[in-house]
Amino acid sequence: MAILSLKNICFSYGITPVLENLSYDFEKGKMYCITGRSGAGKTTLLSLLSGLAAPTEGDILYNGDSIKKIDKYRLRSKYIGVIFQSFNLITKFTALENVTLSMDIAGIKGKDKKARALELLAEVGLDEDECNRRVLQLSGGQQQRVAIARALSCKPEIILADEPTGNLDTETQREIMEIFRSLAKKGKCVILVSHSPQVAEMCDETYALLRHSKKK
Amino acid sequence: MILYIIKNAFRCIGRSRGRNILIGIIVLAIALSACLGLSIRQAAENAKKETLEGMSVTATISFDRQSMMGNMLNEGENDEPPSFDRDAFSQMMGEASGLTLEEYKAYAEAPSVSGFYYTMSASLNGSDAFLPVTSDTPEEGSAADAPNGFSQGFGGKGGGRGQMMMGAQSDFSVEGVSSEEAMTAFMQGTASITRGENFDPLSDELNCIISEELATFNGLSVGDTVVLTNPNNEEELFTLAVVGIYNDTSANSDSFSMMGATSTDPANKIYMAYPALNGIIEVTAQNAATLTDENTGREYTTDIKSTLSATYSFKDLDSYYSFEEEVRELGLDDSYTVSSSDLESFEARMVPLNTLSQMAGYFLIVILIIGAIILIVLNIFNVRERKYEIGVLTAMGMKKGKVAAQFLTEIFAVTLAAVLLGAIIGGTVSVPVTNALLEGQVAQQTNRSDRIEESFGRGPGSGSITAPEGNAIPDDTGRERPQGGFKNLGAAAVDYITEIDSAMNITVVLQMLGIALLLTLISGAASMLFVMRYDPLKILANRD
Repeated sequence: MAILSLKNICFSYGITPVLENLSYDFEKGKMYCITGRSGAGKTTLLSLLSGLAAPTEGDILYNGDSIKKIDKYRLRSKYIGVIFQSFNLITKFTALENVTLSMDIAGIKGKDKKARALELLAEVGLDEDECNRRVLQLSGGQQQRVAIARALSCKPEIILADEPTGNLDTETQREIMEIFRSLAKKGKCVILVSHSPQVAEMCDETYALLRHSKKK
Repeated sequence: MILYIIKNAFRCIGRSRGRNILIGIIVLAIALSACLGLSIRQAAENAKKETLEGMSVTATISFDRQSMMGNMLNEGENDEPPSFDRDAFSQMMGEASGLTLEEYKAYAEAPSVSGFYYTMSASLNGSDAFLPVTSDTPEEGSAADAPNGFSQGFGGKGGGRGQMMMGAQSDFSVEGVSSEEAMTAFMQGTASITRGENFDPLSDELNCIISEELATFNGLSVGDTVVLTNPNNEEELFTLAVVGIYNDTSANSDSFSMMGATSTDPANKIYMAYPALNGIIEVTAQNAATLTDENTGREYTTDIKSTLSATYSFKDLDSYYSFEEEVRELGLDDSYTVSSSDLESFEARMVPLNTLSQMAGYFLIVILIIGAIILIVLNIFNVRERKYEIGVLTAMGMKKGKVAAQFLTEIFAVTLAAVLLGAIIGGTVSVPVTNALLEGQVAQQTNRSDRIEESFGRGPGSGSITAPEGNAIPDDTGRERPQGGFKNLGAAAVDYITEIDSAMNITVVLQMLGIALLLTLISGAASMLFVMRYDPLKILANRD
């Protein structure tokens, strides 16, 4: 059963249609790539999936229920982990603080929060020294890792990532994609938005956004 | 849940020190100014409270002549000026004999009254062996009669004395008191018996106490007798036994003797029991004869005119305020007025502090308005600057309300810290600053009063006490203050509050906390409005 389904989704900015009649299904344990040319509506679709925007027509189902019935803040803080294209980290906080803040927002309690955050950051390849640095003192790749760790901190079933490898060197790209791959193996539903064919190649399924979407 | 918002707020404060220090300095300046303003207001309140607590409020009932004169003013017809009905006024004044002792006693039954006493004042002449103290130039042939080298002045042998009906003043002011409480100078400690003892206020025996000056002037001591005469009938003699001699430190005879009225000189004041003086008055009334003045042709009686005045005391100011309503219900008509010299004195003393308090109030309002505007602007800039952060937090799933709460916590924490620091500094400097400002106010008030005195041809601080005979009662400073329409404008007569001991107390601290809360809410409301308006998608899209 699909954990996330799009049912005849349409979205337009004013009178300009961006997405028309999209119907996709996303399952746990798989890695998806939404691809398309610039302006095709990739990021818009990601916003719809994360509840940052609402479709003008159609419905999005999470575990069979319409996300309209779910509190959008709850959806973003507990069920879906979002990795933004420009990472969107709190720049005055350290990497560790960014992750623990996300846990706080998700309502995760317990004394081991810090340990769990450090563990997550270690999983994405950051050592303790890097964890305690402010994010502006980290490289682009390291910031991307922090954004991934933050997205994972609330133990979501779905990971949404917008151009996760966009500004990274090849080696780092490969490492980041390995992280996503391992997450999918752990049963997460990973949805990547990218115009990179290499990323699309590494995914289980790819949805290409044109005027009318096509399944590869 | 709330804990992480607070934790996050403090973390943000720490990470944006520069901005928060700037806000803190501005709030500190506002808090310091507000603290001074509040402290001054509190000092005025404290001084008022302390003065009222230590003050026994007394009131008198007197005939409202001014109001009656207003009633006698006829409206002019056809653009004619209003005219005053002098005959009707004279007739009415003649009929207005004042309240009787029974009426005074009836009003003393009012529930608000805690104490009551009355005095009878009369003017009597001395005799050849008992002369009033005076510093006037001795008349020919009379100085030799003065004992101990004092000048005799008024009267002398024969008929120089006793011309009351012609407007001349008599020798002595005799006051008959109903109780020792009525001897206010003694009660307030400005006068004390130095030799002998006091008379029994309830006795009708002709015992009296006289001033040290009068005793020295006449070579009298305790146990001696003095002879007083009816100013209108020198044949009527009253022999009084001197049972005590007193010293009145508040008495200053210079201004009184200058007026040429020996009876108004405090040294010539004789105290005795009310029943005893009343007995003298009754005797003169029984023996009264009707005579005609040779010069004016007016008829007059030879009995001694006396003035009866009653004083009511109250446990507090509220009782005094309710007293007037009560006596009106008991039948006191509108031609009489209830007044309190204590209250007038108190209000006069409070003038500089009240003025300062009022100015501090206006200053406080201006400071808070300007402060609130500055903080609103600063917080709007702050929120706009942190727009991205708001977008990220809401995109992470933090509700806008919680983001706003975090911002509000930050503002409150910075404001509270600055306000507390301002309160500490303000508390330290409030007393010297208040006293310095108060000193300026007192000087201003004194200069103003002195200018008025000079305008009337009197010296600065002269006091200009011009009370009618037997109609002056001491205020709480022991000075005698005029009653019945005469006001002392002299600054020297008013004991202004010139210094305060403490201005800061828990009330000011609570008020400061209230200000911190108010400033937070006002400035925070603007921030919250912006936070609630922001759409995270737009913020992040613009960022991207």
